[in-house]
Amino acid sequence: MENMFKHILLCTHGSDGARKAEALVFTQLAEATGAKVTVLTVLDKDWRLMTGDDWLNSSKTHADFLDHVEEQVSEEIADDWNRILSIYAKARSADFVQHTGGIAETITTVARQLGCDLIVIGPYRKTKRLTLKMEKGLRDRMKNEVLHPLLPCPLMIAP
Amino acid sequence: MSRTKENIPVFIMGGLLIVYGIIVQTGVLLPLLTYLHVHKSMDLMVTMSFVIGVIALVGAVINSSKEPGNSVFDRFVLQPMGGIVLLLIMAMAIRWYLEPLVIIMSKSLHATLGFDVYKVLNLNYVVLGLLAGVLLTNTYGIPKFAAAGVKCARFVLKMGVIMLGARYSFAELAKLGVYSIWLIGFFVLGTVFLVLWLGNIFKQPKTMTGVLSAGMGVCGVSATVAVAPVVKAKSSEMAYTIGTILSFGIICMFIFPTIGKLVGMNAVQFGAWAGTGILNSAQVAAAALAFNAVDIKTLKVAEIFNITRVLFLPVIVLVLATWFGKESGQKLSFKTVVIDKFPIFILGFLLLFILSSAGLFSPPEHYKGKYIDVSYNKRTEVTPEEWEVLNKAMQAGAFKELNESQMMAVTDLIHQRQIAGNFDERNDKTKFDQVGRARMSELEGVLAAVKAKQVRLSKEVGSAIKHAISQVHKKSKTVVTLTDCMIWFFAFGLIGLGMQITKKAIFQAGGWPLVIGVISGVAKATLSFFIVLWLVKDVVLK
Repeated sequence: MENMFKHILLCTHGSDGARKAEALVFTQLAEATGAKVTVLTVLDKDWRLMTGDDWLNSSKTHADFLDHVEEQVSEEIADDWNRILSIYAKARSADFVQHTGGIAETITTVARQLGCDLIVIGPYRKTKRLTLKMEKGLRDRMKNEVLHPLLPCPLMIAP
Repeated sequence: MSRTKENIPVFIMGGLLIVYGIIVQTGVLLPLLTYLHVHKSMDLMVTMSFVIGVIALVGAVINSSKEPGNSVFDRFVLQPMGGIVLLLIMAMAIRWYLEPLVIIMSKSLHATLGFDVYKVLNLNYVVLGLLAGVLLTNTYGIPKFAAAGVKCARFVLKMGVIMLGARYSFAELAKLGVYSIWLIGFFVLGTVFLVLWLGNIFKQPKTMTGVLSAGMGVCGVSATVAVAPVVKAKSSEMAYTIGTILSFGIICMFIFPTIGKLVGMNAVQFGAWAGTGILNSAQVAAAALAFNAVDIKTLKVAEIFNITRVLFLPVIVLVLATWFGKESGQKLSFKTVVIDKFPIFILGFLLLFILSSAGLFSPPEHYKGKYIDVSYNKRTEVTPEEWEVLNKAMQAGAFKELNESQMMAVTDLIHQRQIAGNFDERNDKTKFDQVGRARMSELEGVLAAVKAKQVRLSKEVGSAIKHAISQVHKKSKTVVTLTDCMIWFFAFGLIGLGMQITKKAIFQAGGWPLVIGVISGVAKATLSFFIVLWLVKDVVLK
């Protein structure tokens, strides 16, 4: 398996599924292939739509809200990256990047820009609607029909 | 060339509008429009189609010939042109085609279902517009050419509220103001503290209960957006809170008008209840117009309650900032917390109210409702309930004591649902106006005869005739024009706001915000229902 991949793009947002991808990359793939790893976290552009049908606030209040969202999500992403660094020794040599945009579009664009030859993501999880557990960020699912045509390299889904 | 290509949808919409205007003017569509009961709006259809069509074409030509600029005209007129025209076309199509079709289909299903679907779900043009916006954005998505224009909906809705300012008198504002300050004050503060208390009971973080209390207590998503940076809410707390408030608000928008009608609330009671119990202010406007879209009494009451609670927003932000600041040690300036959150458009509302009260829009000859408008206007119609009362009374022979000309006036009122001239004579403005005024005089004669006990009519029938007469007495032509514009502004604004409600945002509902939100929201809606029924009496609105 050595040299099979040169640059792996690990996509994570800290969910239970994404943590499986983190474990797969840092305990098996990076070790076995010697590939460079870039950890990507995407700030969902749909936060812009979360102001819903608010029409009372001024554009400044809207801008303040979106600035706060970006600041807050960035802090949460930084916490996640620190968690990864504290668990996996191999992660210390990885690059960590954050981008804003559509999930599928951003992942494939970053993979293309960095010349990655493998993208690793977590497995599909069924959304539990009636649960008190609150997850970070927005609930979102990538659709295969959106992601697959955009892929510049193989996609691996952690089991 | 590429700029022309980008503007093709606007060229097509402008061209279609002009063609539609020509078709309506030829009278080809008269049978269809008569079937849909919208034939009385033909003149307005032609005018709007030509005006909007020409503006769209001119805008598309200018946009095709130059690069987008950064001037006010570029940003607020030229760039949003596509979206503005799309929303106007949707508003026209919904008001003149979709709403009548829904009513006709509901009536045809009445025998099978035993009820009218449009009445139960309040599917008038306002609710249908909002739903059409939600449907479009969650299926096809907002077309690229319309994205900038859709954002104008917020501004247009504010303009609608500002124009509404011209419709209040000092007496109305004073009376409604007293009701609203007490009720809103009690329920805003009560809900905020209830949510904070529930958060404490369920051991939830203060960042979450802070943002949720503002949303549930003051004005829904708007308050959440304003408060989130102040209490440093986390991403999940903001997302779950917004999802909960949006979902709860949409359910309320459908349920409130139906319950209000079932228990026989009057316009003031329903406006007060909706303005207190429904979370999002856009949904308050939609529910008020869903309860009564014929005239704007309910909207007038609901908006006073809406405005009062919006005025509470800076106060609540200040309270939460102080409360949270003490906990976290952060310092926030008065400007950030209060001045930046003050809804400036309310100053516009007050300005129009003052100008109107000072008589700027009402010439002396129009004083105290002396201006009579018997032209075709949806707002001068009697309500569907009143029409049914009159129609049943006619079928039961209740008008047999009237003289021939009075009988003809009542027959025409039932036929046209409003006091007006003859449809065939609408192009002869003088004759049309004379006939309308003569009919109004005959109906006034009917009421005088009832008062003198020369004729016996039920209280409901008398009330319906009285309302029909009051509908054509207007404050002034300027105020009538402002009101007509305002109704279109609300329709336009609510379609645009519907386009901002995504299923992704709605499906964020869940977690502790859902539990605490449902408890506090249901408690607020239920308690305000009983208090409004108990305390709020009818206020005479013009």
